[in-house]
Amino acid sequence: MCDWCEKYGDGYERWYFNPANYARRLYKIRREEAEASGADANPQSAGGMAVVGHDFLEARDRGDTAEVERMKQQVEGAMWLTHFGQVITLEEALKITDIMYPICLITCACRRSMEGLPDEENFTCMGMGPGMYKWERWPDTYRGGVHFLTPDEAKEVLNKLDKRGLVHSIYTFGTPYLGGLCNCDYPDCAAIRTVVDLDVKILWKGHYVAKIDPEMCNGCASCVHRCQFRALSFIPSRNKAYIDQFQCFGCGLCVSECDQDAITLVERTSLPALANVW
Amino acid sequence: MLPAVTVDDEKCKEPASCRKCLLICPTHVLGLGTDVGAQKFREIDPSHFIVRPVRLDKCSGCMDCVEVCPQNAIQVSFSGGDAR
Repeated sequence: MCDWCEKYGDGYERWYFNPANYARRLYKIRREEAEASGADANPQSAGGMAVVGHDFLEARDRGDTAEVERMKQQVEGAMWLTHFGQVITLEEALKITDIMYPICLITCACRRSMEGLPDEENFTCMGMGPGMYKWERWPDTYRGGVHFLTPDEAKEVLNKLDKRGLVHSIYTFGTPYLGGLCNCDYPDCAAIRTVVDLDVKILWKGHYVAKIDPEMCNGCASCVHRCQFRALSFIPSRNKAYIDQFQCFGCGLCVSECDQDAITLVERTSLPALANVW
Repeated sequence: MLPAVTVDDEKCKEPASCRKCLLICPTHVLGLGTDVGAQKFREIDPSHFIVRPVRLDKCSGCMDCVEVCPQNAIQVSFSGGDAR
């Protein structure tokens, strides 16, 4: 079980299947908590710009591992209280659209920042829960407006984004209040690039790990481009795809691309060496 | 070695509509932010957007951003007297 399921699962299979974590009561609490901790509760501040500062990159550059570790723990500690994510599969994302309301299509703050993407090309992010009713307070965070979706419309959008190859993940806004369902890719997603490049865990791995059946893999390599976490590569001498399970975030994008059904998702906790690799 | 990447905000007036440097950078080093932070109940004026290096660790020093900037607002330097 992941730490968050243990703390906030309340008997549900996953912490993000617990409807209480999307509830208004928590949304109210989180404002006070976020403000008390000095954090800016506005999602934009946590969006496109750097999660770690220049100091971190400099310490890393000069090889000061102790300082890097200290700063890393500081950032992670603060982010786990306020704003962090966990990778989920498409199936899990679809299930979430049935347990909470409202769910809205919004523009992605990260791509707005890293590509300056115009709003009309940027509707790939989803905001959830009672916080969405107050979106007009932050016109810049929700540039381009907010589309309130029915559960069926949300499922349709998620399916489309999944086809495009975007990774689904769930985000807290004042933990454990879940307010974001992001659909992301490397390197413009601040969370993905920060965890992949800098090993600062503001995005947790999901509850699954992908596994390849080498007998069934026909070497077409169509799965390789689906991985946003550098976990998938190709072994030319064997003509097979290869998954680094220690690097796999369990998003399932490679699984749905394989027309040989050679890749399956297994429960992370069923693998002794990976059970605590989040 | 980390470079120094500086953007002259006086010259770079409306980066959100220009965005040439953001799109040309092969390693997506640059990002768009604002110099006013989050604004409640109003949109941020385009003149408050700024370009800053976000992923300095990924800058290769190719100078594409320097060359593409129509305002000559970007400088990239790898000197800094660092022997490494």
